[in-house]
Amino acid sequence: MFYSPVITNAAEAVKNEKLHLFRFVEDSEQVKIGTYEAHGGYQAWKKALTSMQPAQIVEEVKKSGLRGRGGAGFPTGMKWSFIPKDSPKPRYLICNADESEPGTCKDRVLMERDPHAVIEGMAIAAYAIGCHRMFIYIRGEFNHSIIRLETAVKEAYAHKHLGKNIYGTGYDLDMVVHSGGGAYICGEETALLNSLEGERGMSRIRPPFPAIEGLYACPTIVNNVETLASVPHIINRGADWYRTLGTEKSSGTKIFSLSGHVKRPGNYEVELGFNLKKLIYDPAYGGGILGDKKIKGVIPGGSSTPFLKADMLDVNLDYESLAQAGSMLGSGAVIVFHEDTCIVWVILKLIHFYRHESCGKCTPCREGTGWLEQIIGRIEAGGGKPGDIELIEDVCGNILGRTICPLGDAAVMPIQSAIKHWRDEWQFHIDNKKCMVKTNFEFR
Amino acid sequence: MADKQNPETGGQATVTLTIDGLTVTVPRGYTVLEAARSIGINIPTFCWHPKLKPVGACRICYVEIEKFPKLQVSCATVAMDGMVVHTNTDQVKNGRRAVLEFILLNHPLDCPTCDKGGECDLQNLTFAHGLDDSRFAFQKYRFVDDDMTTTFDDKRIGPEIILNRNRCILCYKCVRANKEAFGEYDLGAYERGNITEINAAPGRQVANPFSGNLVEICPVGALTNTDWRYKIRVWLTKTTPSICNFSSSGTNILFYKEDHKNKIYRVTSRRNDDIDDGWLADITRYSYQVITSDERLIKPLIKKEGKQVPATWEEALEVIKKRLNEIKDKKGGVCIGGLASPSLDNASLYSFAKFLRRTFNSNKLDYRQDYRMLPKDTANNYSILASQPFKIAGIDDSDVIVTFATDLLREHQNEYLRVRKAFNFKKARIFVANPYAVKTADVAELEMVYKVGTDEIFINAVCLAALEENLVACPDRADLKKKIKPSSLKDAAEQCGVAPETIKIMARALAEGKKVTFIAGELLTRCRDREIIASALCNLNRLFGLNRKGQIAVLARYANSMGAVKLGISPEPVPALKKELEKIWSGLPDTEAYNTDTMLVHMKKEEINGFIIMGANPVMLYPDREFVKESLEKLDFLVVCDLYETETTALADVVLPLAGWAEYAGDYINLEGCRQHAEQALKPRFEAYPGYEILEMIADKFEKKLFSSTEERESEIDRLLKVDTTLPWPDGFVEVKTAEIEIEKDYPLALFLCDDPHHCGHLTEKANSLVNFCGEAYIEMAEEQARAYNLNEGDSVRLESPIGKIIVPLKISEHLDNQVVLVPRNFTSHPVTSLLMRKRRIDWVRISKVAE
Repeated sequence: MFYSPVITNAAEAVKNEKLHLFRFVEDSEQVKIGTYEAHGGYQAWKKALTSMQPAQIVEEVKKSGLRGRGGAGFPTGMKWSFIPKDSPKPRYLICNADESEPGTCKDRVLMERDPHAVIEGMAIAAYAIGCHRMFIYIRGEFNHSIIRLETAVKEAYAHKHLGKNIYGTGYDLDMVVHSGGGAYICGEETALLNSLEGERGMSRIRPPFPAIEGLYACPTIVNNVETLASVPHIINRGADWYRTLGTEKSSGTKIFSLSGHVKRPGNYEVELGFNLKKLIYDPAYGGGILGDKKIKGVIPGGSSTPFLKADMLDVNLDYESLAQAGSMLGSGAVIVFHEDTCIVWVILKLIHFYRHESCGKCTPCREGTGWLEQIIGRIEAGGGKPGDIELIEDVCGNILGRTICPLGDAAVMPIQSAIKHWRDEWQFHIDNKKCMVKTNFEFR
Repeated sequence: MADKQNPETGGQATVTLTIDGLTVTVPRGYTVLEAARSIGINIPTFCWHPKLKPVGACRICYVEIEKFPKLQVSCATVAMDGMVVHTNTDQVKNGRRAVLEFILLNHPLDCPTCDKGGECDLQNLTFAHGLDDSRFAFQKYRFVDDDMTTTFDDKRIGPEIILNRNRCILCYKCVRANKEAFGEYDLGAYERGNITEINAAPGRQVANPFSGNLVEICPVGALTNTDWRYKIRVWLTKTTPSICNFSSSGTNILFYKEDHKNKIYRVTSRRNDDIDDGWLADITRYSYQVITSDERLIKPLIKKEGKQVPATWEEALEVIKKRLNEIKDKKGGVCIGGLASPSLDNASLYSFAKFLRRTFNSNKLDYRQDYRMLPKDTANNYSILASQPFKIAGIDDSDVIVTFATDLLREHQNEYLRVRKAFNFKKARIFVANPYAVKTADVAELEMVYKVGTDEIFINAVCLAALEENLVACPDRADLKKKIKPSSLKDAAEQCGVAPETIKIMARALAEGKKVTFIAGELLTRCRDREIIASALCNLNRLFGLNRKGQIAVLARYANSMGAVKLGISPEPVPALKKELEKIWSGLPDTEAYNTDTMLVHMKKEEINGFIIMGANPVMLYPDREFVKESLEKLDFLVVCDLYETETTALADVVLPLAGWAEYAGDYINLEGCRQHAEQALKPRFEAYPGYEILEMIADKFEKKLFSSTEERESEIDRLLKVDTTLPWPDGFVEVKTAEIEIEKDYPLALFLCDDPHHCGHLTEKANSLVNFCGEAYIEMAEEQARAYNLNEGDSVRLESPIGKIIVPLKISEHLDNQVVLVPRNFTSHPVTSLLMRKRRIDWVRISKVAE
């Protein structure tokens, strides 16, 4: 059995009752349905289907305070309740497994090492919204995840957890594993819907929201992998137990993908409200900075979120605290940069990514990201001109909040924060045609 | 756009909002943009199109709405009660200027050589916003292709379309229109980010029958068509409103012309929501080239010693006078007949009929040159059906639409788009029934391909399904079973080869539909047994009450077919019309009336000796070419007026050059009975004259003026057009006879004659652009069938019937799927009518491969 060589804190999760997502991810047998069932798998699905009403499940999830783990942090139960009650159309559940945010690799671990948990969570969510056909849209590059899921779905059918008349309740549920075509934008839910329908992956204008008119113009719920994987535990142990995890407004646990200049990059499941500094420095987690250098800055929630400077690191990792600190929890990808990193170079890499991934639909994002890459590239290469910083700020301002989907915002927020925090460094780059810090560190 | 009263949203049908301090009330569902435009506030747009769903891609239509934190795109924001909208604040202006700046970053500044210059949205907006400087200091992105076929960065993506991706601002209007409105997928967007490009689908050409629209809706010069490119600047042209001469719906168009050169440069749409929705079929857009072609007849021709030689008009008219008088004196005026094209204007058609009836006392005239054996009078169910009122826009709000015996894409493109629209925007249920598969079925809930020659049995089966399932409340429904054979759904369904369950679904939809549009088409009109099928349709109409809860119609085929009916050009006009004609002319000839077919038979018997043909080409279009030719050759004297030398003019004693529809002002009546005016765009070219003037000149020679003045002619036409020519439905159910279908041994395939989607009748092969789309005839068949004969795409196929054979190249069809082959009839080089027998219902043929 092949695993992506990613460090996790599964060992801690085995000991700590509260960490439920990662408990079995280091168990190489967990991908098999027999092991999963022996570990109490599919009990929640059986319980939900045989003893609970859909409305009860929605209520339970609402009560648990579970929020979307894909980036926006929207309350999951509330999202489910947006499905129109009286629509005669079929409803669809889609699991968004197009995990492409730079720095994020949490869903991949779940899909590769505990695929049945994802299926079970999806099944419960499907039942809660009255869906009989659910999809998982997996990023095209995640070959192992796709194979794992396909195998797991076959097993689930064979064990009658999916298919016709599940557990004799008369409820039918089918599942489709769909491989994406390799576009970051397809992680945005409306672009994902277009892609799933066979169209070009471009975001749709809202309203109508997917819950009203989504896949094939039918009511649709799109949830992240981690969100759905949390659902069985809420059903098993109850919303009240889930509320005891994390903080008051950000309940539950969250997987943080720690990367960058840390000694132990990896995926760590912690309760929400965990201290960022601890995550970076604690030997059980990040273990400190490479070469024991100083930290320059941290992106706390994936490349789309604003930077935190070194003096802002004593912050708790939950939705509210990070918002207060001027950033976002996002998808939970903590990227750490040490003091020798050239910020202009980092931003150039990021804007290159966003320029490449802009779907090309709406003007500000399509043209703006290309222009920004050219200007920032010029500065990085030592050709910056006076006024370039102001120009970048102005262009960013013309993109922020002016696009159909959040990709435009995602592209400019880190730039704006990088200029805010390290303006002197940008200026130095332009004035002296070289970098203020000593070396560039190539990411591998 | 919006539903006036949407039951789902409940409450009031309108909303009231404030835009720039003005209060406006609009129907619920209107967008902020539509609301603003309704009170004359202009908000710029690039990607918005009135007939497409909004996408909000270009972002130029920003407005500020109070209580919304960010700028909103007005094209996609639905107007709500109490909204306060500002369209002209600093924030809005800055937002728009930023979008313009973004769009211009990589847009080349080649306005002086760009054909869109002068009518370019981007150019206009750039001037309006005073963006005269650029902060962009990099090389502009330039798309270059390896297979460049034209200069600069242009790429030919279709027979008539050239793409310049550098100019493209990615509003996606072309791709969206192609998909949403036309159902075509030959154009798409490729790549991502700022190098996204619009391009033809890999390995394909943008050659769909609506491709010209893509150029017309392009807001910049990214898509241009070859006919307009580099020929003239738009501000040097003048426009003339006109009507399309090759569609029966009378699509509204604008000619762009230049007076000194007396030349038309292009055609664009003149949007009329009741008729064409602003979309033009390519045949409408490019058919002006029929008039501007240099192959036109220049002078009259007179046959001297077996050869046609040029002559003056005076000479020609003298010959006509002398020869027709000889016939009249020797055999009587009733031995003179005529055939006029149903694409001529009202004045010409009316003059034609008046000339023949008044000067020669002859009732031997017709306007139908391509339908075999049509009835000469109107005392039949077919005429009843064809006279029913129909509204094109009525297709839009129908919830159930049936197309029967018609391939809309080939012959009624306008209605084809309407059916698609009803499906896409109103979720109408579409049912398609035809003896062969057609493209309309893309949007159909059910496609029913019934066996060749069982049209009436299929309709009977639908009626029987309604009876057996007890779906209808028609009081005398019990009578129906006595009038039709077979009398059980099971048998009828088996005979027509459609599953009974399928027929039941359609019957239920017809019964449940709140507004039903039932369209029958050219396959019914062209069919020998049209009366039998029409009887079945009369029963269907009565059983389901279709005419009361919607519309049922046989679509007319030509630009003025309805005008010909309403002005009495048929041998035996409708009784009401006859009465009016009698009053106007104080008397009508009571001689025998012949239709086209009978006239041809009597020519062969030498009982008709003189004949006038105006704009028609029966040799090319009437079934059994040899028969038509022999008949016309037997004539003592034949006059033919046409724009070009044709197969028919070759037989004429005198040929007169006829002016085309753009060369004179005229009225046309479209298939829904709407009278539309086309203005004169050009002076008649060479020595051509409009039909009504030619007839007036000939009548002058006979010293029997047709009209004392133009006003008199117009007032007579006005009086006739006021007559209601709708015929009453039969009382009770009518008997549906059993058709006798001949089977021809050794000829296993059924041949259906059709028009190519880019052609209509015999003139369009003179239009270069249309020839670029399709320049020669083809035989279309299913892939499986081709394989059975060991044929590949493009192979020469010998097509034989018991009376003739032709050789045509093969085209493999994406749609056809049974024992049917199609051949278009528009090409001189492939005389497909020579295969057809006059009296057949089905034209049986066989095919074989031509050895290399």
